[in-house]
Amino acid sequence: MTAKSHHGEERLPIPPAKDSVAASEVSLYRNVLKIKRDHDLENLGISFYDAETTIQWAYNADHYFHAASTMKLAVLLGVFRQVDRNDLALDAPVHVRNRFTSIVNQEPFMLDLGRDADPDVYGHLGKTLTIRELAFWMITKSSNLATNLLVDVIGIHTIQLALDELEIDGVRVLRGVEDSRAFETGLNNEVTANGLLKMLRLIADGKAYSQQACDDMLEIMLEQQYRSGIPAGLPKAARVAHKTGNISTVHHDAGIVFLEDRKPYVLVILTQFKPEHGRGTAVADVSRDIFNTLAGSVYE
Amino acid sequence: MSSGSSEVSEAQGLKVVDAFDLDDELRAILKPGDMIRDGQGRRHRLPRYFYEIPSHEAALGTRLSAHFGINEFMLSDLKEAQRLQQYPRYVPCAIRILAFYLEQYRTACGASVHIAVNGGYRSPSHKLSVNATPHMWGTAADVYRIGSTILKSKEAIEKYNDIAEDVSEEVKVLPYGHATGKNADDHVHVDLGYITLIPREISEDRMEQPQESRPRFAFEDRRRKERRSAEAEPEQD
Repeated sequence: MTAKSHHGEERLPIPPAKDSVAASEVSLYRNVLKIKRDHDLENLGISFYDAETTIQWAYNADHYFHAASTMKLAVLLGVFRQVDRNDLALDAPVHVRNRFTSIVNQEPFMLDLGRDADPDVYGHLGKTLTIRELAFWMITKSSNLATNLLVDVIGIHTIQLALDELEIDGVRVLRGVEDSRAFETGLNNEVTANGLLKMLRLIADGKAYSQQACDDMLEIMLEQQYRSGIPAGLPKAARVAHKTGNISTVHHDAGIVFLEDRKPYVLVILTQFKPEHGRGTAVADVSRDIFNTLAGSVYE
Repeated sequence: MSSGSSEVSEAQGLKVVDAFDLDDELRAILKPGDMIRDGQGRRHRLPRYFYEIPSHEAALGTRLSAHFGINEFMLSDLKEAQRLQQYPRYVPCAIRILAFYLEQYRTACGASVHIAVNGGYRSPSHKLSVNATPHMWGTAADVYRIGSTILKSKEAIEKYNDIAEDVSEEVKVLPYGHATGKNADDHVHVDLGYITLIPREISEDRMEQPQESRPRFAFEDRRRKERRSAEAEPEQD
């Protein structure tokens, strides 16, 4: 749908006839460009699939972004791969310890307890939490400590194996969280909007290993406590199984939206901005736009 | 820490087992009598006599000293062999000696001493058991908290290291630092070295008796073969 002028700027396509799907898409496209401009985003990636209408729509959806905490969805997938194979039990205890190893030089590092305010996990230092509890806190409160503990348990290799097995391109997981040595050398986890969309569609369709595994993953994702992204653009009655991702220069959200009396839709919104701008409401604005498009209303 | 219930049994009430009498799977996990090397290449023989803890209730109710229950030395996660996470569980008898010293340590600290998960006994099959460490003898403890102080700073670890060393010359600690196995940066490591305890009710003559035609244990079989092969070799001038 995108077109570029000879100056390299994106320009709008010629509007098709009103009330057609194409008209909705063009309207959506116009609005997305407006949001990008209004929020001064450096980059924006969107991928969307509606199971009710089978409409699929994407904008810049194969561009790689820093994954931030959306990589935790891949960790969740890796965990449930092992659970589904009976290689791991959800009630298995894991020692809660703030000590990890950098992938760069194998030197130990600790997470900054002040930055990752999740007393639900830190409060258990020296004790144990189960795999299920760690997965819950990793997703619902984006606990970095829970994430690194789970990565230690299953291994990065298993996570990438899960992505490969399910043919999910566009999600690269190299390491856990807060490995500053790896960050300095440019070894970061990366995602595309299409990559995350594929993963979420598999989960929504019950095709990520087993129906039970998908049900369990959805149950956790529905308990997400950070709701300033996709849910902020939706009616309160909407239920969203999702995972956010935030660092100083990106704000992402990837989720499955459940509305009454219709099949769910899957939406991934990735944004990148200058650190001095802050994250703003771009993700919520895109989410609202897409909801309005599906609902047939006109975006103002 | 233990509750001090009047119904608790003493460690002496636990059954002592010779690990060679356990089933094949447990013998393969506990490796009684095997020689393993520490980080410096020195060889040490793994313990053979263990307390058998029949149930979770027994673990909770058995005190090794006034303030330490045997359950505190058995805390492990999925890094421990699956079989050892199920009851009955096994802990080397030398754990009693460790409890005795930790009790002195507790008194010297003037506060409760908390052993971390995976910080008490670790079997040779535990994923952290790369080289021989006294944890595999039940004679080392990783303490992550003393009173309300979580041990994560250099100052706290060095302070409580000093107190541990003052308890007895037998006590060794790891200095603060980040090198795995040589330092500690999120706990105080207290160990007594490679102590093997043989309970007084055990008769040690079984290993010394003339071997029967069919040895009872794989370990004894291997020793007999080693002895015979040594006897068969001509002596060198």
